[in-house]
Amino acid sequence: MFKKVLIANRGEIALRVIRACKELGIKTVAVHSEADASSLHVRAADEHICIGPPEAALSYRNIPNVLSAAEITGADAIHPGYGFLSENAHFAEVCESIGIKFIGPTSENIALMGDKAKAREIVARKGLPVTPGSPGELKSEQEALDAATKIGYPVIIKASAGGGGRGMRVVNTAEDLARAFQAAQAEAKSTFGHDGVYLERYFLEPRHIEVQIIADHRGHVVHLGERDCSIQRRHQKLVEETPSPAVDEKLRKEIGRVAVEAVKAVHYRNVGTVEFLLDKDHNFFFMEVNTRIQVEHPITEMVTGIDLIKEQIKLANGQALSFKQQDIRLNGHSLECRINAEDPEKFTPSPGLITKYSAPGGFGVRVDSAMESDAMVVPYYDSMIAKVITHGRDRQEAIARMRCALDEFVIEGIKTTIPLHRRILNDPDFQKGHVSTTFLDRFLAG
Amino acid sequence: MSKNKSRKQRANKAPIILPQDFADTPRGQGKSFLLGNQSKHVQELIDILKRNNLTELELEREGVRIRVRHEQGIKTITSTVADASSGTVASAPQPSPTGSTSVEDTTGLVTITSPIVGTFYRSPSPDADPYVEEGDYVKKGQVLCIVEAMKLMNEIESEVDGRVAKILAESTKPVEYGQALFLIDPKATP
Repeated sequence: MFKKVLIANRGEIALRVIRACKELGIKTVAVHSEADASSLHVRAADEHICIGPPEAALSYRNIPNVLSAAEITGADAIHPGYGFLSENAHFAEVCESIGIKFIGPTSENIALMGDKAKAREIVARKGLPVTPGSPGELKSEQEALDAATKIGYPVIIKASAGGGGRGMRVVNTAEDLARAFQAAQAEAKSTFGHDGVYLERYFLEPRHIEVQIIADHRGHVVHLGERDCSIQRRHQKLVEETPSPAVDEKLRKEIGRVAVEAVKAVHYRNVGTVEFLLDKDHNFFFMEVNTRIQVEHPITEMVTGIDLIKEQIKLANGQALSFKQQDIRLNGHSLECRINAEDPEKFTPSPGLITKYSAPGGFGVRVDSAMESDAMVVPYYDSMIAKVITHGRDRQEAIARMRCALDEFVIEGIKTTIPLHRRILNDPDFQKGHVSTTFLDRFLAG
Repeated sequence: MSKNKSRKQRANKAPIILPQDFADTPRGQGKSFLLGNQSKHVQELIDILKRNNLTELELEREGVRIRVRHEQGIKTITSTVADASSGTVASAPQPSPTGSTSVEDTTGLVTITSPIVGTFYRSPSPDADPYVEEGDYVKKGQVLCIVEAMKLMNEIESEVDGRVAKILAESTKPVEYGQALFLIDPKATP
């Protein structure tokens, strides 16, 4: 087993990985920017190295400094967390070439699945359902027009090097297409460095359903059920749950089978998430694969009992999967609320000193956070400061526990989105499980 | 890429203002305080406080005063906008901080910090003489040491002319980003 793992991340996910390493008897190295010098994740690790100034590009994404930190501490593996370098195929490749294990999929997996247009193509060729769209990247306006006519409006133009809900444009009529196509290309180039775009049918009120998969080096792939992440604001998830209220056992088996087939097609290793859109008639369509551990992984852990981070580390260490598909049981229901340091109505960032922090507890309540009293929420990174996860025997119980947990949670000194989460939980449509990706926009509009 | 910092560690004294950090440096890179992101500057003050084991830090400039205090585990931050006509610091008697710290007067010294993560070496090779010794006079641009990262040797140069007052890092030991390596006295002459 690895002797020492360097965690190339910060905040709650760094703490999460450090905890998993401790349980496995592995020593930990926390790297941090100057802004995070007194962060909880730094104190939780056995060693810590400052790798740069606050700016992420000069610290957490600074490959030479991260690798140098691994070298001087003698780390034999690096866990990249999510965001930052986790889906940087070049970084994974450099780790491989210098003999440091990258805890995640292979650099080829990341490169291939990172090209969203190509990923669609590969999955479509396997006869698996993909969102009706252009076969690959669109090489011209005319190609875009032809594809859109064939698919039917409205369509959405997406950047093939994109992801995370960025660089997308909805087009309602043929008249708007030419302009949208050019704008999308320009945006793709400036945001992701590559102007390739593709086109898909745009669903009006889809659900965002994603499947957690896990694979070993022998090609065994297991799926761990789906997560419903339809509650999003500007494509950023706020509330996630499993199982999805819209997915029954039959549909789960089918979506799970497709997810497993999709990643098998590319010899996927370690953990990943296959994203689908579910339309009103419960037809599902492959969208993309996220080649990393995801923020919302805890809800899958709660219903399966499987520690996904420990599994990642064991798989990276060369161990085979210790369970088969038939061993997987999904027990009860789990919910997650992402608490952001933002104004709950205007969504403006609210960095600053947390003067009082008191996390909720109790049966079925889990909080993943690196925040504490007197901690500083710095403005340089993502605004998420805590994840509240609840588990119950059914959806009602999970929701009731989440309501109590949010009421108990004290965070003073900054603004948080807790009041928004409370409102969502009290919404009748949410309580009935009637949500789609347009839910939050409608909810916020009043 | 090194920063100019002074280090002051005093116990049982009035609040300290560190001119080095907020005045223009020899390279003309003054930090303009309170003209932009306030919380960022508050964070900088807190970092300086922690790094230097201070218990209180106060700065007044151009009509705004900010004080950061760390006492018995409780950090408080107060900021007041002073009267435009008054340019003085009203220093009230401060409570005595807990914990003792070494008293070292490093006023006016320039700190050379590591711009990368790596291993610190005082000489170009194991058998060679060190680049510099304490007491040596160095010129701006002169190589002071090597920080090796991933088998690449990076020469670290002095940012100023001056005398090597203190060597803070140990040869063959790892150093992190921003770690202090040398203290140079820029006022010394050869």
